[in-house]
Amino acid sequence: MPVQGIRTVTAARNGVGAFILQCKQLDFHYCDWAGSSRGMVAFLKHQLPAFAKANPQIEIRVSPRPHKHPVIKGHYINGREKAICVRNLEPEQIFNKANLLKEASGEKLKRTKKPITSLNESVRGIWSPYHGGFKSV
Amino acid sequence: MRPSVRLLNLEVPPIQGARTLYVCSVCRHAARPRPIVTRQFLRNASNANSLTEKVRRKIWGTDNPPGLKDPYGGEGALERRFKNKGAQVIEEAETPEASQAIDAAASEDAVPASADYEPATTWDGLDRVGHLGRWSDLPPAPADVYESFQVPKKITKKELLSLAAHQAVVELCLMHKLGKPLTSICEVVEHDKLIFKMIWKTKIVPSSNGQWSEALEYPNKQAEEALVYIFKQIGAEEAAETVEATEQVEETEEPLDELTEDLDTEQSKLAFCGYQKPRDNGHLSLSLNDPATKFAFLKRFSQLTGHFFPDPAAQSITTVQEAVTYVQQIMKSKPKKLADYLAKNQQYKKAPNVKVFAKRQKRSDRDEDLGRKKLIEAELRARGLLE
Repeated sequence: MPVQGIRTVTAARNGVGAFILQCKQLDFHYCDWAGSSRGMVAFLKHQLPAFAKANPQIEIRVSPRPHKHPVIKGHYINGREKAICVRNLEPEQIFNKANLLKEASGEKLKRTKKPITSLNESVRGIWSPYHGGFKSV
Repeated sequence: MRPSVRLLNLEVPPIQGARTLYVCSVCRHAARPRPIVTRQFLRNASNANSLTEKVRRKIWGTDNPPGLKDPYGGEGALERRFKNKGAQVIEEAETPEASQAIDAAASEDAVPASADYEPATTWDGLDRVGHLGRWSDLPPAPADVYESFQVPKKITKKELLSLAAHQAVVELCLMHKLGKPLTSICEVVEHDKLIFKMIWKTKIVPSSNGQWSEALEYPNKQAEEALVYIFKQIGAEEAAETVEATEQVEETEEPLDELTEDLDTEQSKLAFCGYQKPRDNGHLSLSLNDPATKFAFLKRFSQLTGHFFPDPAAQSITTVQEAVTYVQQIMKSKPKKLADYLAKNQQYKKAPNVKVFAKRQKRSDRDEDLGRKKLIEAELRARGLLE
């Protein structure tokens, strides 16, 4: 009987396949009457189905918001919300804004001052008297 | 390469008092005497003692060489012209022939000199280029007044629409009967009350052969004659003559001056002279199969009601009734909601992650979706804040 190797079920790819999109829901609000929603209405009519199909992991809710400017609101898995007013924008521009919300992490925007950002405070770690050379202790 | 001025200027001793006597190179250069040749050229060329004159005399070997005294041909054309205007022209006897010829050519188009010329000190009374005065100061011309083809306010009542259709049909029937161009009826925006009353009383009885000219049924013989007489004035003649004709009608029938004044003030605001609906609906069944008649009817109808007919609608309309119904439908139709459109859209139906709401979503709707509305209400009831 020939020896069989164990089949691999999952391939470890250094976590590349484990990405979870941070945006979980997008709300599209429009107004039937106001002219500032013209681009939004066109976007909802023609471009949103393709956008929804391309992003099946995002829940998309479309609802009117009468006598108000059109707004896209993103809900993130960290519990935060981000809203963008898209009044008087063209459908293409609205598509870009929706993409922006989709790709956002949900965190507040921060100014990056240092070239490297890390969760570890220091690469060398916190100094401990019980580790390393015991010359001085 | 030009030698350095600083090097050339050796009068200043280099060591003693160098700071106090220092002069910058530019100033030193300006202060230096220029070469004589350069200054000679800067002199006026017409000067008798100039270098060019000296060379000329030397070349010819005489103190009075032939040719122009000034090698540049004297004054320019503008200078000559201004001199002529100034009436101070002094003809020099010994002007050379060449300059005389140039002068003659220039003086042909020059303004003849006048003795009483005084140069202007202000611009008052001088010729001006461009618009005389500001355009906003000019009184309005007849062409500036805008008159709308349609009535200023669109007619919305069903009975009034039918009345407008009746009026248009009667008018076109009369134009058919008289053999006049049909669309010329649109020149008459509004009828006099008496004329309108006669039109209103006229019935439409569609004939079996569908001819518009035979569909009229007048209230009496007098009305028929009056209407025919009035409609004869429309179209072929000038507008002014039409006015005269109407004046004649007014004179012959009854003195209407006072009446019309009252009508102008009170009833001109009322559409169709205050009439509310037609006497019968016979005009609605008339057919619009003839393209010319249809066009004329739709034009007159849109003028009277204020509703335009787009080409596809005008194409599909075959009777007067349809035209009236079309306008009524337009008024009834409300703008469509996007939610209805999206609900019917197949792409949206297929998408599992899209939810379309017809109404505005509030915070309470969100609570209901997440299932916490019951909890909130229960808590509010427990605290006595909700009945």
